[in-house]
Amino acid sequence: MMAGYPLLTILVFLPLTGVLCLLPLWQRQEWTRRIALLFGLADLTLAGWLTLAAGSARLLPGNSPPGFFLFEDLPWIGRLGARYTLGLDGISLLMVLLTAFVTLVGMVVSWNAIRERSALHYALLLVMESGIMGVFLALDLFLFYLFWEVMLIPMFFLIGIWGHGRRVYSAIKFFLYTLAGSLLMLLAIIGIYLLHGSQTGQYTFGLMSLTGTAIPAQAGIWLFAAFLLAFAIKFPLFPLHTWLPDAHTDAPTAGSVILAGLLLKTGAYGLIRFGYPLFPDAAKTLTPLLTGVAVIGILYASWVAFAQTDMKRLVAYSSVGHMGFVALGIAAWTPVALSGAVMQMVNHGVTTAALFALVGMLDERSGTREVAAYGGLWGKVPLLSGLFLLFAMASAGLPGLNNFVGEFLILTGTFRVQPLAAVLAFLGIVLPLAYTVKLLQEVLFQHERRPLALPDLSLREGTILTVMALIDLYLGLHPKPLLDLLNVPVALLTGLTGGAP
Amino acid sequence: MTIADLWILMPLLLLAGGSLLILLLGAIVPGRHTTTVGAVVTIGAALWALQSPPALLAPNLGLAATPFARFFTIFFALTTAAVLVLAERYNSRHGIAGEEFQATMLFAAFGMVTLSASVNLLTLFLGLEALTFAFYILVAIDLNRSTSAEAGLKYLLLGAVAAAFIAFGIALIYTGSGSLAIDTAMQAAAGDNLLVRAGWEIMLIGLAFKASLVPAHLWTPDVYQGAPTPVTAFLAAASKGAAVVALLLLLTRLDTADFLRIPLGGLALLSMVVGNLAALRQENVKRLLAYSSVGQMGYVALALLAGKSGGYEASAFYAVAYGAMTITAFGALTVLDEGGSVERVDDLRGMGYKSPFAAGVLALALFSLAGIPPTAGFTGKFLIFAAALRAGEFGLAIAGMLTAAVSVYFYLRVVVSLYLQPRNDSFTVPAATATESTVLALVSSLIVLLGVLPGGMLELAAKILR
Repeated sequence: MMAGYPLLTILVFLPLTGVLCLLPLWQRQEWTRRIALLFGLADLTLAGWLTLAAGSARLLPGNSPPGFFLFEDLPWIGRLGARYTLGLDGISLLMVLLTAFVTLVGMVVSWNAIRERSALHYALLLVMESGIMGVFLALDLFLFYLFWEVMLIPMFFLIGIWGHGRRVYSAIKFFLYTLAGSLLMLLAIIGIYLLHGSQTGQYTFGLMSLTGTAIPAQAGIWLFAAFLLAFAIKFPLFPLHTWLPDAHTDAPTAGSVILAGLLLKTGAYGLIRFGYPLFPDAAKTLTPLLTGVAVIGILYASWVAFAQTDMKRLVAYSSVGHMGFVALGIAAWTPVALSGAVMQMVNHGVTTAALFALVGMLDERSGTREVAAYGGLWGKVPLLSGLFLLFAMASAGLPGLNNFVGEFLILTGTFRVQPLAAVLAFLGIVLPLAYTVKLLQEVLFQHERRPLALPDLSLREGTILTVMALIDLYLGLHPKPLLDLLNVPVALLTGLTGGAP
Repeated sequence: MTIADLWILMPLLLLAGGSLLILLLGAIVPGRHTTTVGAVVTIGAALWALQSPPALLAPNLGLAATPFARFFTIFFALTTAAVLVLAERYNSRHGIAGEEFQATMLFAAFGMVTLSASVNLLTLFLGLEALTFAFYILVAIDLNRSTSAEAGLKYLLLGAVAAAFIAFGIALIYTGSGSLAIDTAMQAAAGDNLLVRAGWEIMLIGLAFKASLVPAHLWTPDVYQGAPTPVTAFLAAASKGAAVVALLLLLTRLDTADFLRIPLGGLALLSMVVGNLAALRQENVKRLLAYSSVGQMGYVALALLAGKSGGYEASAFYAVAYGAMTITAFGALTVLDEGGSVERVDDLRGMGYKSPFAAGVLALALFSLAGIPPTAGFTGKFLIFAAALRAGEFGLAIAGMLTAAVSVYFYLRVVVSLYLQPRNDSFTVPAATATESTVLALVSSLIVLLGVLPGGMLELAAKILR
């Protein structure tokens, strides 16, 4: 119905247009944040409308591949065979929705926190939104790689300019760590491009064409390993996670929210969209490795999280654990587990973003993130405490809240193919409960340890957190609409590799 | 001399005539107009080369007007124009008065254009030496700084040695093949002619010096640091480009470059490793960029090695991309420099907010040099690694990728200084003039354009190398 408009292009480049609108208002802090918010809202509205339209199957142009609601394909660099190909299926739709929403959250939480160079701050948030949207929509490896790297630069500056503590160190560590993996992936991209070209005479980066490439087993392992490395660093999977706690600790709140809510998802998404479909055989061979590091990551992260005294580090390590679940679901590659993994990406995106926002709000009020500094918040700031309790319990996987749904699906799906891994990972549901309860008990209850003057949530903070809480509840109680969106693409993906027993 | 000869000669006549005109004008009416004249003449030469020629060859002159020659004529002429404009204010601040600077710049451009239009080894040598000769003067032109003179002397001594190598190599090739025409001489190399091959390898040493490939790179950091910043820009953008052009002219005529695989591969590997590792330890921005250029030329050498698999196109593309990146980087440094106080990386602290435009384009150029998309540097590196993999050079491609990952660190360090380490002490940066801003904006938009829509340039690169 809307085939006449390049909706996906608009979705990707609308935030970038916002940056251009910010330029003339460089000096006017008041206006820059409003305009940025406006563009964020506009992109979210478009994403929301696409979700509704996709649900009612109004978007079905004839040329799109199976499972895709929208598809755009234009010639780009003819000599290389790179094309400008964007496609929206159920999985990318959820990710796009998450991106638009979490970016908005990032803007709202930095509303008052960012006073210096705010125009640059919001410009970077918008650039990042464009980059991440592109990653979730690109179906051409060249285009994907371009977006994949573009989203690094704004995050580097966000951590480096508005961060705390060893911000420069953390920013550089984040950039180099992720880039090193990406460069090897670039070699692998060139590798499969040349392989396909020499086999068929048609040089292309298009995902749909490349999936049919016959890859020699040995080469396939190496190429897949390069992809896996790049994605595992982004995930981050044990033992490649060491950049994450540093980046989170030193990032400003908006940076943490987007890092946890969105950037980590790009690794998982890349593995689902590109890694497994391009190298099904190699993926099957290396699945035990992925399962292994996923399980170790889940257990290790929970163990380390227990020992953290800085709330942001604690949430960061809990992220590593949750993303381990996502990796486990991908490694199982059954329809149920894969749906669970994508669900868990959305759940973790919302819940952890909310937790980081809350920790940021506490930090903004009292200037410390040490668990030991707080205590007895329940009586002093009931609204904030209540929401903190809700999101912490959601993160710990309390049934009825969203994270439980994802973890349950992943474990159910995994148990059929990898019973031992599922049993071990089950511990990963129990352990978070331990550190979460400990955290809640120390921060919310007990007696006040330092006399901190803490005002309760402002209208702005309360609104955004309430929306996130409602999403958590909704997804926890009624995940069906989302799962329905995932049915077709997940069936296509798992059918492709024949992984489902 | 026919009309066609004159047509082909015209860009050279313009540049040489312009150079003389500037010298004369300077003697009669000294002042700033010499830069204007220089810019007009170079742009005129570039425009001339845009038209299609009445004939491809001027055999009596040893010159050609092939698409290759015309393309690089335009590239070198425009590079010269950009550097002339960017140097104007720097020169007056540093007391580089007089018209010699502009005249010598035009003479350097004359050398480069001769080189890219040459069809025999002698014209090639003359072009190369004309431009090197001009650089001997340009590097040492800042009389107020002893480092400039020191750099000039270093460049002169090593340059003379390199010239000797190239001349000796050409002599051997001539003895072996009996011809000075590039086409004939190069074909002799295919027939297992040992003299020609030996000549080639000796010539390669001399050309490695021009391109500052390891181990012939030792002059680079000192000369980059000592030379006035605009001259460094010119040295990096145009003189490196000229070395690539010379290598392309010769290599593309070879039927097989297999006998050069080990020397060229060795140069590439050493340059990528040594250049990028040594840059990690530099505190001086210009030294850092000097080592970076050693590393970058290593990638070009890798591309030349994989020539037949698309590497020649990649290196032609990279020569242009690298020109745009270095003009932007050194041009921005020229603008940010206030009386020579920007020396160390630390001196750039806080510049991102004091001088947003110049610092912004500098950061763009650095990200591009680091190979981050969507920039010319990324497209160029992509083409190079694709060519290397296609040619089966897996080891070198992986080494290149790893050194590229390492190189990101030192480029980031400069960006960190620009944006992440604000300083509070008051310092002033003179705002860029309108012409400087225009040139920087044009060149830096080329960086983005070649990153986002490289299609046109790729077609062009393929066309000129056909």
